[in-house]
Amino acid sequence: MKSPDAPPPASPTPGEDPLRPHTYDGIQEYDKRLPNWWLLTFYATIVFWIGYWMYFQQSGLSTSDGAKIDQHLAQVEAQKLAANAAFDDASLWKMSRNAVFVDAGRATFNATCASCHHATLIGGIGPSLVDAVWVHGAQPTQMLKVVNEGVLTKGMPAWGPILGPRKVSEVLAFILSHHTPPADLALATK
Amino acid sequence: MSDQKISITYNDRVVRQFLLATMLWGIVGMLVGVLVASQLNFWRLNFNLPWLTFGRLRPLHTNAVIFAFVGNMMFAGVYYSTQRLVKARLASDFLSSLHFWGWQAIIVAAAITLPLGFTRGKEYAELIWPINIAVALIWVVFAVNFFWTLARRNEPSLYVAIWFYIATIITVAMLYIVNHLSIPTSLLHSYPVFGGVQDALVQWWYGHNAVAFFLTTPILGIMYYFLPKAAERPVYSYRLSVIHFWSLVFVYIWAGPHHLLNTALPNWLQVLGMTFSLMLWAPSWGGMLNGLLTLRGAWHKLRTDPVLKFFAAAVTFYGMATFEGPLLSIKSVNALAHYSDWIIGHVHSGALGWNGFMAAGMIYWLLPRLWNRPLHSVGLANLHFWLGTVGILLYVAAMWTSGITQGLMLNATTEGGSVLAYPNFLDTLNTIRPMMLMRLIGGGLYLVGFLIMAYNLVRTIRGAQPVDGTIEVFARSAVPQEERLGAATTLFNPPVVFSALGTLFACVWMFGGPGLQIVGLFGGAISAILAVAHFATRGTRWAGWHERLLVSAASFTVLTFVAVAAGGLIQIIPTVVVNKAQNMEDRIATPYTPLELAGRDIYVREGCYNCHSQMIRTMVPDVLRYGDYSRMGESLFDHPFQWGSRRSGPDLARVGGKYNAAWHFVHMADPRATSPGSNMPAYPWLYTNRTDVASLYGKLNVQRMLAVPYPAMSPADVQASVEAQAKTITDELKATQQLTAPDREIVALIAYLQRLGKYETVAPRTAALQP
Repeated sequence: MKSPDAPPPASPTPGEDPLRPHTYDGIQEYDKRLPNWWLLTFYATIVFWIGYWMYFQQSGLSTSDGAKIDQHLAQVEAQKLAANAAFDDASLWKMSRNAVFVDAGRATFNATCASCHHATLIGGIGPSLVDAVWVHGAQPTQMLKVVNEGVLTKGMPAWGPILGPRKVSEVLAFILSHHTPPADLALATK
Repeated sequence: MSDQKISITYNDRVVRQFLLATMLWGIVGMLVGVLVASQLNFWRLNFNLPWLTFGRLRPLHTNAVIFAFVGNMMFAGVYYSTQRLVKARLASDFLSSLHFWGWQAIIVAAAITLPLGFTRGKEYAELIWPINIAVALIWVVFAVNFFWTLARRNEPSLYVAIWFYIATIITVAMLYIVNHLSIPTSLLHSYPVFGGVQDALVQWWYGHNAVAFFLTTPILGIMYYFLPKAAERPVYSYRLSVIHFWSLVFVYIWAGPHHLLNTALPNWLQVLGMTFSLMLWAPSWGGMLNGLLTLRGAWHKLRTDPVLKFFAAAVTFYGMATFEGPLLSIKSVNALAHYSDWIIGHVHSGALGWNGFMAAGMIYWLLPRLWNRPLHSVGLANLHFWLGTVGILLYVAAMWTSGITQGLMLNATTEGGSVLAYPNFLDTLNTIRPMMLMRLIGGGLYLVGFLIMAYNLVRTIRGAQPVDGTIEVFARSAVPQEERLGAATTLFNPPVVFSALGTLFACVWMFGGPGLQIVGLFGGAISAILAVAHFATRGTRWAGWHERLLVSAASFTVLTFVAVAAGGLIQIIPTVVVNKAQNMEDRIATPYTPLELAGRDIYVREGCYNCHSQMIRTMVPDVLRYGDYSRMGESLFDHPFQWGSRRSGPDLARVGGKYNAAWHFVHMADPRATSPGSNMPAYPWLYTNRTDVASLYGKLNVQRMLAVPYPAMSPADVQASVEAQAKTITDELKATQQLTAPDREIVALIAYLQRLGKYETVAPRTAALQP
């Protein structure tokens, strides 16, 4: 092999860039400059690495992923608490006579609850919701609590965090629509 | 003997063998791919048979395509081009044959064991330990055969293709061995030595760099040989080859943690993974540029030559995939795309576009030369090209749409971000059904293209006379001592010293703590300035040194190894050596009971991780859907870790206790009974198979060796523990009229599933893992 200082051989066609002196199994090589945009891309990503690392690992200005999500979750929690406070027995019974709530609740029930409680609410893996037996309390707010927080020992998942207060109350309205409200609640039925 | 002219006949027989194997296993791998894609659409195609379920066949598909199809293609290309580039016959016909038949035996063993459920439970590293040893041995045979050939070369200087082959051989050996370290519990089963976050880090260091050094670097080498040959044009730029080779092999290794963004992986590793992935963009595109720009002056040939069509499209797909990769590594993009079909689309634009088309171009170029007969039909090759291209585009477009759609739906919230917009996971799955069908059509078209190639191949070689290449060369005189690099000049020279200084100062800056940070930053800046100044004034010395490096194969290999080893050492060693007890944040797992461990082994055997993750990311939608985000300590004793990479079904990290035992009992027998619209296979055999309790005693001993804090238990203790826990589960099932014997596998699996997400709280000690 020749030393790199040796003059390169003539190009195959005039006006072309010079070729490297060596050929490998007939393969020749130019030695063209690196494209500027390519070099700039490379340099920019290196600069980005330095800046990103400094900001997230060294500056003290960023919060960790854990702290960040804990903050977000606290906000979510506060919103849910505020929303949940609005429901009492009377308002839930009232919702159960409202076709909009009941229809919305039926859709969620069929997608989420029917696999254990059956689409006709007669029960299966989970207990029946149309009989008069209420294991965890017969008041609508007590039922709301069961749906929201679940009964983990019996395999009832906590649906509150997944469905959110609106969908949970709709489901409850759907369940209650299968029952008669107590006589002392004077509810206007359509 | 320097002037003596000798005649060399190349060993093209082994090239032909590998080429035919490529064709065969390519079709097998793609056929299994079409089958598993069909299973995602039509669950009945799981046939209720254990060895035909998605969870067992998907590993078969990935392993077949990577190791059987691309593996054989790589060996064919490497052996063909290396002999010609170094003007020497392969060193040993015996080793060449052993390599070929050994590799085929490994593939057959994999194709038998994977459907039978023998697996290590780590992606692309599923093969059981006896096969791992065979792979390592055959790889050594390949390495010896290759380097021995280099040692006998009659061409002193190493061409760029050979650089990439060297990087492939040493790096794959390193990755494969470290990620497959296991302790056997029987002839067919083992536990990986790493667990939890350590296993995750090692796995994706391997997984990502399997893509780099098995699917990319050898194929780049093949591109550098076959593309200029087919185009009959000089390679665009030698110095671009130099820069992109060294930056690629150095940077690639660091990028593995981008598979674990927003997870419980320590943050500094996530930041390294993301930033190095971005820095990888330019080095990858260096390869694409050198390929595409080599075609300058030959573009008109694309109209008539199917080989160049395939190569040009392959390099374009390579460029697209290597732009998409860094994009997906950005943490916020990854939050949308991870666990979704977008990732599946990304790997297929690489596998179908880059690997598959490079293979096709290479095969069409080699066939006439290896069998001395023109290709049977150029028209059919063109048809293959267009079918394949349309197939890829359909596939990739479907997966982009699917991934982004499902990602957006899963992450969508309403009511001020406090509630999931689509709480039912199956709503998101059923929305992407049309895209899953389109991907099946795209993949099917691609397979048809390959079948056409197989037909073309058979028609071309039938009755043809195989021919081996020959060459007349001057036997080379030894390279003069003063041209080769000695040990000192290998390590002490401007490029290496400045690179080492830069890396060293960068590490001091990143990990040095408050005082040393400044030292590292200034040291790094000064090294960079000095390097630029030195190169500006004495650049010819740098170039001259690299020319000398090219005639010194051993020095080249050593430096390549140093470059690829650096990133892995810096990332993995700190995570592995810190005491396990410190590796946990504020929670720690308790070891699984014997029955739960048996259930976990069933979970791994059935390949549940192919569709279910066990990692709730630090993202509000993940937490709203699946529960509190996962902590490092919670999977501390998981050998192997099961964080997963794709959610075709929901995350299971906290599924324990979410439903009752009866729900799982009904669900595993008929997933659609509890989850209407699900595409999960049914698992009827879990209700008849008996749990393997006999092996548990030995398995617990191995777990204890891996520092899982199990109390001492005799075989009788194990038996008693299993029976007691199984009884509580069958009693619970009986209360809801679900009857089963306590010794059935379903009971063990329920024990494991109901245990997921349980942990003990401990005082946080995260400081140890911060750099």
